[in-house]
Amino acid sequence: MRPGASVSEKLRRGLAAALLVVVAASMLATLRPGELKRRWHLLARSVSGERISPGEGTGFWFDRDYAVFLEEVRRRTQDNATVAVLAPPWPDVYAYQAAYQLAPRRVVDARRSGEASFVAAYRIDATGAPGAIAIPHGTLSRR
Amino acid sequence: MTFLAAAGGVLGGILAASAVGFSVSRLFAGDLTRAERTAWSLSTGFLVQSLLFLFCVSVAPGCGPAPVLALDLLVVAIALLIPARGQVSTCHIEGQVSTCHFRSRGVLLLFVVAAAACLLFLVQALAEPMWSTDFLAIWGLKGKTIATAGHVPRRLFDDPALYWAHREYPMLVPLSLATLASFAGGWDDQALALLFPVCELATLFALFGFFKRRVSSFAGAAACALTALCFPLYRAVNAGTAEVPFAFSLVLVSTAFLDSLSDRSPLVLTRLAMASLFCVSTKQEGTIFVLLLAAALWIRRRWDGWALVAPPVVHWGLLYFLGGTQPRREFDFTFLQPFRWPELAHRFTVVLGRILGTESLAAWLSLLAIVLYLLVTRRGLADPLLAVFALQILGYVAAFSISSYGPVWAADAAFSRVVATVFPAFTLVLGARVEKEKAGGSVGDEIRPAVEGATSD
Repeated sequence: MRPGASVSEKLRRGLAAALLVVVAASMLATLRPGELKRRWHLLARSVSGERISPGEGTGFWFDRDYAVFLEEVRRRTQDNATVAVLAPPWPDVYAYQAAYQLAPRRVVDARRSGEASFVAAYRIDATGAPGAIAIPHGTLSRR
Repeated sequence: MTFLAAAGGVLGGILAASAVGFSVSRLFAGDLTRAERTAWSLSTGFLVQSLLFLFCVSVAPGCGPAPVLALDLLVVAIALLIPARGQVSTCHIEGQVSTCHFRSRGVLLLFVVAAAACLLFLVQALAEPMWSTDFLAIWGLKGKTIATAGHVPRRLFDDPALYWAHREYPMLVPLSLATLASFAGGWDDQALALLFPVCELATLFALFGFFKRRVSSFAGAAACALTALCFPLYRAVNAGTAEVPFAFSLVLVSTAFLDSLSDRSPLVLTRLAMASLFCVSTKQEGTIFVLLLAAALWIRRRWDGWALVAPPVVHWGLLYFLGGTQPRREFDFTFLQPFRWPELAHRFTVVLGRILGTESLAAWLSLLAIVLYLLVTRRGLADPLLAVFALQILGYVAAFSISSYGPVWAADAAFSRVVATVFPAFTLVLGARVEKEKAGGSVGDEIRPAVEGATSD
């Protein structure tokens, strides 16, 4: 601040600075310390060489078993396959996780299962279907 | 591959992008501060490297990073052969007219705050594989498909099974992720998250450099601290989405716009065009923002707004070439037909009411503080952006009003997120009111005499 600044100028600047501090503090208040602590531990494990599996992270908050199921489908199908994944319709992240985890495979839903070379059924007993094999939390059958 | 090894590969890819970006951006950013040049190097590098990667995987699907690196070197060599213009470093200006010492305690304190906030985002982003819904359904899905297939599959644009993946969205973020994955030796969705804290850092560089040149280091440090503390933007859920790179692009295009108000040199016009391209290639609402900036220039009878308009045309042309016409599933454009206008007006008021009643109430303290700040401070050089920001927000309200999923759903799902992306650019307005603009701080012709008399720092 300039040495010759008037009192009102000093007050105005002080008030402006205080208002910016309020803006900053409001944004700071959106942080959740517990969540930060959890993430810090996850990062420390990663840095020490441990892999964080998809099922351990936040991505499968809605159903941890689904991560194991998709990993098994991924392991047993080729990259260029089309896989029909039969999973609960809600939350919609079931469909997004299937498409993402199985990429670059083409993933379709039950309505398009006729286009698929594999059908992966999550928590559906489809072992009676021809060629179906049991995998963790579901079955996989080749068309 | 371990996380650290993959992160090292990603960092290598980012450094390669910065190097190629530096060689190209020196042709139009040589007259800026070092901090700004760093930010421009990164943004230009992402654009150039994504194009090179697209070319490589189109010609030789599944190729590793070697052809991209070879083309990087070729671009660097060609760019270095071209003499750069405007090499009048404004570091000279800074030494001459700076009113605030870099090492003052206030500046250092603000830097410490910004650095600590950056570290928090780094920890949040890198802690686990990226997981947000938009990452899984849009940005990550496309990036992973391209990276693991080794090319850009046509089905990303025409597969009806991917109707929810926003096939019409810009491709810079997925292509950047796929390029970095090739440097990392595979798709590692934890290590790739490094891209986002790096974008945050580049945003801070762009802000600080601009303020150091046009206002003061203190104003720059204040804007950096405020931006870094914008945790509604820099948080785990936004690692993997286009929000953080988009915020970076908004800052770049805004600073180029502010320079263009006092300087019509070809360098500034080129920066406008490059920043516009970066902005529209990152997120679709970038087009609205650059068109609003162009309109702001046209209102001032500045016809060089074409520099902002041409890149969206080129970008959307390229996307049309890649994917053809894409339906806009999330919008119901029949609301724009005259017979539905009464319904549209009702939906508009519903969205406005929702935003004022819920979103604004949640952030009332910040909003009140910002309004009071604008009232008690004097006009700053970035004030012309205020109308642009207001119209951009109004554009979001209008878009939510024609949402296919209902106006309330759209406002609740997206408003606070999209507004947070504007905040770093908005700190240009806040920071510019901290102190008076430097005399001769612009890079235009009018400051040349000040530069000529300056000594090297």
